[in-house]
Amino acid sequence: MRKYSKIIIGIISVITVLSAIYIMVNGLGLVDSLDFGAGAYYYADIPGFEKYVNGDAYSSSTPMWVLIVLFLIWGAIMYKAWVWLDKKS
Amino acid sequence: MAVIHANVAPDRDGDLVAATSKTKLSDLWKTEDWQAVWIGFIIIAIGALGVISGSFDFSAAKFSTWGNGNSLIEQLTAGFWGKLALTAVVLGILFTVGNALRGVSVKKYVPAFAGLFVLAVIVRLISAEYTFNRYLEWAFFALAVGLLIANTVKVPNWLKPAVQTEFYIKAGLVIMGFSVLFSNIVNFGLYGLGIAWIVTPVVIIFMWVFGTKVLKIDNKPLVITLATATSVCGTSAAIASGAASKAKKTDLSLAVSISIIFTVLMMVFEPIIIKAVGLGEVMGGALIGGTVDSTGAVTVAGTALGETAQTVAVLVKSIQNILIGFIAFAVAIFFTTRVEKKSASENKVSAAEIWYRLPKFIIGFFVASIIASFVFQPLVGADTVSSINKVLDQYKNWAFVLAFTSIGLDTNFREIKEQFQGGKPLVLYIVGQLFNIILTFLAVYLLLSGKFFPLPNLVVG
Repeated sequence: MRKYSKIIIGIISVITVLSAIYIMVNGLGLVDSLDFGAGAYYYADIPGFEKYVNGDAYSSSTPMWVLIVLFLIWGAIMYKAWVWLDKKS
Repeated sequence: MAVIHANVAPDRDGDLVAATSKTKLSDLWKTEDWQAVWIGFIIIAIGALGVISGSFDFSAAKFSTWGNGNSLIEQLTAGFWGKLALTAVVLGILFTVGNALRGVSVKKYVPAFAGLFVLAVIVRLISAEYTFNRYLEWAFFALAVGLLIANTVKVPNWLKPAVQTEFYIKAGLVIMGFSVLFSNIVNFGLYGLGIAWIVTPVVIIFMWVFGTKVLKIDNKPLVITLATATSVCGTSAAIASGAASKAKKTDLSLAVSISIIFTVLMMVFEPIIIKAVGLGEVMGGALIGGTVDSTGAVTVAGTALGETAQTVAVLVKSIQNILIGFIAFAVAIFFTTRVEKKSASENKVSAAEIWYRLPKFIIGFFVASIIASFVFQPLVGADTVSSINKVLDQYKNWAFVLAFTSIGLDTNFREIKEQFQGGKPLVLYIVGQLFNIILTFLAVYLLLSGKFFPLPNLVVG
């Protein structure tokens, strides 16, 4: 069983790497208007990046403090859950 | 008088960070963690001063894209060489002073740093090539160049004093902290919070349980580094959580390599699949923003779907990016209190002990982030903060390139093979990423299908 799983993992690894090479060689998935891809990026390179920084792309009716409180509450719950699950087993 | 205990210092086993015993007030200038904080803050301060006053340009060197019709020679102007010299001098002085304060021979460190910097220049030159630039992050090439040297001609002794992965990573992370703006939390309101923040920690916990309990991977720092790379934002998250969990250099290089390769596939195939199933731009963009690892790849994949998808994808990703600091902090606390317990009887670790063991550069990261978000942004405006970050971004990149080249120089192929553990990390990544996609899709469907909540009013274009 272990032998088969190793073979399958090996095949997946080879297919993954070959697919990535094929994509790169053929220039797949790129957008002409963007001078970057998965490799090089800086957020100011994104067309119209100011709207993301200034909050112009979407105006939220929920006050910032509510979002921060929800953010912190969910974070605390998840941390407790992580510790609990780790202790459990 | 010993008023401050503990801190961290590099160990001899290749750990990114290692806790040591009680120390003194002099830790503030003698330990690597605190030195990284000061180096980060000095660079941030000078960069900010340069931009705000407009009196000098502190920008570090950057290779523009070359190849495919873009000339490499043409960009090598006097201005470029000047910036390259500035980068080498600034980083060289700061890291040399740090080493000198730790008792490392300056005479040995300076030529070693010069050699490492030359390798970093080669790495950045290669990674700026047109095709490489668009698919693979610099970390990949830094590892490759380092590994090639280490496993062929061997690392010369004179270069070894500069191979200090931890130091460069910590300094780079503090600089990166300035770019993590808390105000991004409002970027997409409750929609963004629901997609980026509800899902991310659930995926991390799932991958932790799956990795440690089901796959029984003993190397817990590797599990958490891979989990955060998958669920947050790839390389940056892996670096932050790897350092926070005291991961070995090979853990980090493996996690980053897996993430980089799969990001190429996801950037190309995810928009194709989304189009094929007719998910639409809003839901498709949100799914891309929540699942593709690198922000650059998110932008490209989102744009491939359309302008609305690009907007939604970047909004979701910008929220995910602010999670790096919080998650690295949580990882540091978790590993301090649960993974690094000295014995089974050590059920409760005191607050003082947590402080002793906590990697201090995490504090530097947070303080930089808080200063940028709540001091600089209100005072000088978001555009100026962006200009400052544009300057700082290159220093961060240079620090990380120095770090990843150091990892490559300090690693042999056998270590990497052993680290692969029969493919378990790959299984963990694939299962975790599939879980991430399913959970993100459920959140996206719930919030953005228009069946349960009103659709957001987006300003596109």
